[in-house]
Amino acid sequence: MNKITSLLALMLSWSVLPVAIAETYTPGQKVNKNFSQLAKPFLATHCADCHGETEPEGNLSLHNLGPVDEVNVGIWQAVWAQVTLKEMPPKDEDQPKVVERLQFSDWIVGELSRVMRDKGGFHAHLDPNKGNFVDHDLLFGKLPDNIKLAPTSSPARIWRVTPQEHITRLNELINREPDFDPSKPGLRTHGDTVPTNHGGELKLYFGTDRIIRWQGGTVAYATAVKSVPVVLSSARDHGLENYPDFYTVNSAESTQILGTAADIIRYMANGPLSIAKPYQITDDPRSIADKMKGDIRGLPTSLVYSTKVMRPLTPVYDLMHEEGNSDERLQAAVNYLFEALTFRPPSQKESNEYLTVVKQSIEKLGKKDGAVLGLSSIFLDRDALFRPELVEKGKPDQQGRVMLQDWELGLAVNHALRYIKPDKELRKAIVEGRMRSKADVKREIERMLADDSIRKPRILRFFREYFDYDRGGYICKDSKALADTGASNRGTSHYRAMFDATASTDRLIELILQEDRDVLKQLLTTDKVIATRSDNVYFGKQRSKKEILASVAGAKKAAAEAAKKKAAELEAWKKANPGKKPPKSKKQNKRRQPNVNHKVSQAKLKGPKIYARVSRRSFGNGSMKPERILATVPEDQRLGILSHPSWLVSHSDAMDNHAILRGRWVRERLLGGGIPDVPITVDAMLPDEPHNTLRDRMRVTRKTYCWTCHQKMDPLGLPFEMYNHAGLYRELELNKPVNTTGEIIDSGDPKLDGKVANAIEMIRKLAESKRTEQVFVRHAFRFWMGRNETLNDAPVLQDAYHAYKDSGGSMKALLVSLLTSDAFLYRTRKDPALFEEN
Amino acid sequence: MLNRRNMLQKMAAGVGAACTSSLLPQHLVASSTSNTTPKRVIFFMQNQGFDPKTCIPEGMSSSSSLAKAKLPEPIKALEPYKERLHIISGLHGMHTSPSHSAFFGALGGYRGSDGVPPSASTIDYELSKVLPKTLLPHLCIGMDSIENMTTKPTIATLSASGAGQPIFMHSNPNHLYQMLFGGISTGDIRLQHEARSNLLNQIEKLAAAKGQSLPSADRQRYNQYVQGFENVNGLRDRLDTVSDHLRKFAPKVDERYTKPEFETDWHDALLDLGISALTSGITNTLTIGSGRGEIFGAWKGLGIEQQGHNLGHMEQPDNPIWIKIRQYNSRMLVRIMEALESVPEGSGTMMDNTVIVYTSNNADKQHTNGANWPVMLLGNFDGTLKTGCFTQLNRKRPINALYTSLLRAAGQNVDRFNMNDKLARKYDPATGPLKEIMT
Repeated sequence: MNKITSLLALMLSWSVLPVAIAETYTPGQKVNKNFSQLAKPFLATHCADCHGETEPEGNLSLHNLGPVDEVNVGIWQAVWAQVTLKEMPPKDEDQPKVVERLQFSDWIVGELSRVMRDKGGFHAHLDPNKGNFVDHDLLFGKLPDNIKLAPTSSPARIWRVTPQEHITRLNELINREPDFDPSKPGLRTHGDTVPTNHGGELKLYFGTDRIIRWQGGTVAYATAVKSVPVVLSSARDHGLENYPDFYTVNSAESTQILGTAADIIRYMANGPLSIAKPYQITDDPRSIADKMKGDIRGLPTSLVYSTKVMRPLTPVYDLMHEEGNSDERLQAAVNYLFEALTFRPPSQKESNEYLTVVKQSIEKLGKKDGAVLGLSSIFLDRDALFRPELVEKGKPDQQGRVMLQDWELGLAVNHALRYIKPDKELRKAIVEGRMRSKADVKREIERMLADDSIRKPRILRFFREYFDYDRGGYICKDSKALADTGASNRGTSHYRAMFDATASTDRLIELILQEDRDVLKQLLTTDKVIATRSDNVYFGKQRSKKEILASVAGAKKAAAEAAKKKAAELEAWKKANPGKKPPKSKKQNKRRQPNVNHKVSQAKLKGPKIYARVSRRSFGNGSMKPERILATVPEDQRLGILSHPSWLVSHSDAMDNHAILRGRWVRERLLGGGIPDVPITVDAMLPDEPHNTLRDRMRVTRKTYCWTCHQKMDPLGLPFEMYNHAGLYRELELNKPVNTTGEIIDSGDPKLDGKVANAIEMIRKLAESKRTEQVFVRHAFRFWMGRNETLNDAPVLQDAYHAYKDSGGSMKALLVSLLTSDAFLYRTRKDPALFEEN
Repeated sequence: MLNRRNMLQKMAAGVGAACTSSLLPQHLVASSTSNTTPKRVIFFMQNQGFDPKTCIPEGMSSSSSLAKAKLPEPIKALEPYKERLHIISGLHGMHTSPSHSAFFGALGGYRGSDGVPPSASTIDYELSKVLPKTLLPHLCIGMDSIENMTTKPTIATLSASGAGQPIFMHSNPNHLYQMLFGGISTGDIRLQHEARSNLLNQIEKLAAAKGQSLPSADRQRYNQYVQGFENVNGLRDRLDTVSDHLRKFAPKVDERYTKPEFETDWHDALLDLGISALTSGITNTLTIGSGRGEIFGAWKGLGIEQQGHNLGHMEQPDNPIWIKIRQYNSRMLVRIMEALESVPEGSGTMMDNTVIVYTSNNADKQHTNGANWPVMLLGNFDGTLKTGCFTQLNRKRPINALYTSLLRAAGQNVDRFNMNDKLARKYDPATGPLKEIMT
């Protein structure tokens, strides 16, 4: 854009903008302006000078950028991100007024939504990774007078259940989990989620609680036992994974669910007899020794089941074990399954519809097969796979909001904390019409939060998704690179250690939640760790070459001295017993001799016994074990969860640390900053230079084009270079002192900004920050509301933050505040006006 | 919205357990699709490893023609098909952790292990997507001990449509027959088919009714769920209209299905069904898991009393047990080729447009680091692959390079498969297909 044009445009903008600024702005309301009225003058005023026709900055010319259309959506999306995040105009240029920027941003979103409507839609602004695009200071600070907020609510919606929820729901039908034991609070109990197994796979296991013997060891058991993998999928592995608008259920998943349903119903009816021969069910395995001869490892017939009935005996059992198939029995089975799968009783119409389906199947196939097939259909009911919040009944208020009530409200409250159906009290409250008000919700939430025996896996799920500490076992490590860290690269031991570490971190978080004081600060700065034996290595220190040589030499010397001592003892014995043959020395079991790991100065973790939640027996004798210790981390080397291998390895790759990912995590999850998507023109590769440090190789990100974004991430991730990519503490990298410095910039809190010597210093600073706590609250909002916050949610967020702060950092207080807010209680059926056609 | 192609792919990914998926022969829909030559690919994954000595002709140590060579005893059944055969030694799978089994990593070219979910899609699924359309792009069958096939008729260990998205293989031939040929079945299978059809129709109705009052964005998303049933049911109805065609290809249900004497009766029946799915044009990709990707399996029908893990602890060369298993595999390969050769296609036969990839999910042996991953290819895939030769590679390139080659042969312009640049620096010094196997 040449100067004259720019000037003209500028003059035009002067004529338009004052009008815009004078208006009252309400977030979410349609911007009643077209390209010429709003966008064009904005571009001319704030963008044209640098992104003009000739030699534009960043090689991006906005000179000819017209109204949003199919061709230029990419450019408009980039403009939206840059302007919304206040990256543009540059800080040293004149800035648009607050409302001007908000309107421009809303207008772009509205236009992108309109243009993309038939092409898959525009969803970027709804993605949790873009949640921070809403200005933090506007959410928690004072708003300009011309911004008027509207009462908030969430959209009416259906919310597909998560893979964890689904498998836990199905597990309830065939397995009875133990009741909560206050003396062993970490053990998996009824209401906890079904954990992933030894290999990180989420599976439903059949009859493992009755298996008392099997042939073979680990793999043989894993092959012989009946299990089905989770069917529903989740495409995300970092950040919040399950907003309501993410997923549907495809036909492949539906057909699998139908198959699994038949297996479950048969097991409900017949227990292990549905998967084993009658002789396999005995409390005396010796009595069937004749049938267990030979090598039958890996076969289902290699298992022996106890006679004790462990599964719940339900109306499905009654139906299948009684003569005939009366309507009463059939209906009881239908109703039971419906509520077990949807968490609410069926309406009479629904009950009758499924009864008809079951009867038709029985008519065709007879009772045994027909009932199984017919009942399977309930597993595919909409409400068994999608949780509805539709507010179809109820009168809208002036803003078109309807409060959830009865079953929808009860199930929303239940879902906020639980994966299994409402407990008796909540169910009673729903049925008796006592789930209709904010006070009702508060009463039930507080009751459930106060009762440890009511397990609340969804809270832990939030912390997994917020911290992303559960990915370590899924990061495929290069074998040599792993060995270089000092961690074992034998077999699957590292991956097993990482899945154990995830369970340990789960438990540590629960301990901090139990205290419920300064929860975020504690998580960031705790000196505690839940540990297995292998954590002595992972929480150890990687040795230098010199230390390794010294360790090897020391071991050799010790061995030589031991041999010498032994020889001297033998000589002495011979002298004392002339002519006699010396006794044979005890055979040493070589396999039991621990391998000395010279590469690591192991931590000496000690402490009381504690339990972590692990899968049912999935790998025979090699299954995950719940026993752990509660220990204190080595001083000055670790501080809080971000310094634990579970988090560090989750943010690493096959060969090295992932400083960018770590930095991004800190920027987004603690500082509330937003990072625009990587431009497609960027070749995001670090050079392959094995003799250079990661910091050196990251020099490519310091090119001007990349640095604009990377300066917000890299200096926050590099302080974690004090750990290697298996999470071991180190002082050297490539035999030189490791550089662990970093810097916090543009945090939004001037007290935070500045250089840091290492991760520990950085974490200490961040843990003291009010902003960090507010950002934590924002993430909790997103998780529990299932959507990104808007400016209209500012009061909800502020209330939640104050509830947290005023209670001394109580997660419970934060939850009560969020779950009794309008954003949680109200739904709006109408689509947001923002996306109406301009 | 799901389009038809998507639906078929997704249906293939989950032709799971109990679904009566509806399928329409390829040539019956060909008129509405492109003129591309129909192609098909078969992956035959024998577990416990594939020792190169059991397939490389004696004395052959460098790449050469097979024309004058005599195939070793375990694969001698392939002797008449030498001109279609390409024996490849010297690929590697060091990055797949193949000891005991790489599981999904064998066809995915990434780390796999017991209990480890797939980290990306596998090559068979990717090929099924890009090969000319069929109604059921991908079918997986798994052969195991009779106890395992009965108790766990579907499992997922080898194929995947994406990260965390396993594809199930079928091991009960009665269920699979019903799924593929329920519309032309009789007796009990017919009743099952009818009951299932009715059930799916009812589910579709109930599902659709609950979608009517949803907000518009949710309705669109939920409609994909409903449409899955619509498509399944719609295709089944259409399939019923072409039952005469299917009847020509469907195997006969006999006592092997209902009263198997040995597990090999079911293995044979499953193979018959797989072949029928190919020859009738129902599918373009068949994955066969002999031993179902795990470290067990049984072949008592061949007179082998030992089973499972012990088989993997034996040296394979000159081992009478392994000779029997490999010969059985070879006879199965011959059966596939004979069947495909018997069906005219274009100016030749179906086999002319086919490639069979025979290998193991365990590389060369059970306890292996994957330094050598032998493979046999049968068929030239419409002239895109070299045949009639033995190729000795230098163990530098990974199985991913083979999969890249197959994608290239299927017309895809790719340089790598499931291998990013970072991994490639360590595990693949080159890019693109294996020039040694491409014509």
